[in-house]
Amino acid sequence: MSYYDVDAILTDAEKVPCRFELDVPYLGHLDNSSGLKAGTRLNLPLWLAEMFALASAGQDASPPLTLSLPPCLSEQVLAALKADPRAVPLRDQSAYFYGVAVRMLDLFDEKELSAILRNTFVVRAADVGLHARKAEETGLGGQGEEFLRGLDEWERRLFRRGHEGVKGAKEWTDNVKKS
Amino acid sequence: MYGDLGIKLVQHAKRTQNLAHLPPYQTELVRAVTREVRDLNKDVDDLLEPFQGSFDPSEDQAIAYTLLVNHISMRRNKRCLLAYHRTRTDKLEELVWNGVDVVDLSGQQVRDAGASRGSTGVASGDGSTSSLSPQEEDYVRQYGDLLAAYKGQWTDIDLTGSLEPPRDLFIDVRVLKDAGEIQTEYGAITLTKNSQFYVRQGDVERLIAQGYLQKLS
Repeated sequence: MSYYDVDAILTDAEKVPCRFELDVPYLGHLDNSSGLKAGTRLNLPLWLAEMFALASAGQDASPPLTLSLPPCLSEQVLAALKADPRAVPLRDQSAYFYGVAVRMLDLFDEKELSAILRNTFVVRAADVGLHARKAEETGLGGQGEEFLRGLDEWERRLFRRGHEGVKGAKEWTDNVKKS
Repeated sequence: MYGDLGIKLVQHAKRTQNLAHLPPYQTELVRAVTREVRDLNKDVDDLLEPFQGSFDPSEDQAIAYTLLVNHISMRRNKRCLLAYHRTRTDKLEELVWNGVDVVDLSGQQVRDAGASRGSTGVASGDGSTSSLSPQEEDYVRQYGDLLAAYKGQWTDIDLTGSLEPPRDLFIDVRVLKDAGEIQTEYGAITLTKNSQFYVRQGDVERLIAQGYLQKLS
């Protein structure tokens, strides 16, 4: 992940729910009040929340903020993914679903979550590859359209690469035949 | 909220990545983001002022965390700004390697201006006629010089030439824009718009890359 990576920056802009553990009178602008009270719940972008959750003043002071998993990784979504990964439009959850998930796994120790996500990607990637190969014949659309619309940014890139690969190979074989 | 403007800039960058040309420089947005950074820095200075340089974070946590938020926001804005400009310079370098003229880029803006003003709602700048910022134009010019100097080391290889081996020595071309007179081994040809010529490929390769001529197969 590069510092200049546009996708990484946009992933960092995804919001996560947090809870403040401390009064901070000067930060009222974060939730449009006159000052933040301890126990306030609000959604902060990942780039801010992450640094904040890891920061703590003094040796044994607790962090000023506790993070929880974002709604795109909620119990319901995970249950649906466990049932059938292909039936969940990941894009509706978050355009950077995997990106956010990876960042959250850095912060949380969730073995089960990572297992579910890994399985999700493997199962879906096979389908992405299949659609990428067949996109030429059916024309972008048809029965796969629904599924393809639900791809997150990472899967989209995979799809595009797959599609370009098939196209490139076809062009090459046509050229060989001609000359 | 802090950082929202930066996101807009990065979204512009994201769109730029998938475009063949370069959309107009977002002068207003860039200015707004830098202004935000300056405001944040002023806030930090104001907060620290009463302490006279002897601030202890563990004593006043509220202030310490406010400083942290401001600091992270500034860093975030910096990252957005850098990413935006880097995306554009990458694109510009690519265009220079492809042999596109800076003049062409400026002309491009005339076509884009109407569309982009309407859809994005952000003016491209102070009514300038180029889709590049003055700094970017400078960058392109100097990068072009650098590339020319680099290419000059090998006179028998054209580094920016086509990788496709030519099938024929001579090709048919159609003139898309007036290009004036060119000298070839067989004398001078005057390229006027909409005319058609049978010429040696090596003589006109540059003009095809620059969009003056179109190759007919």
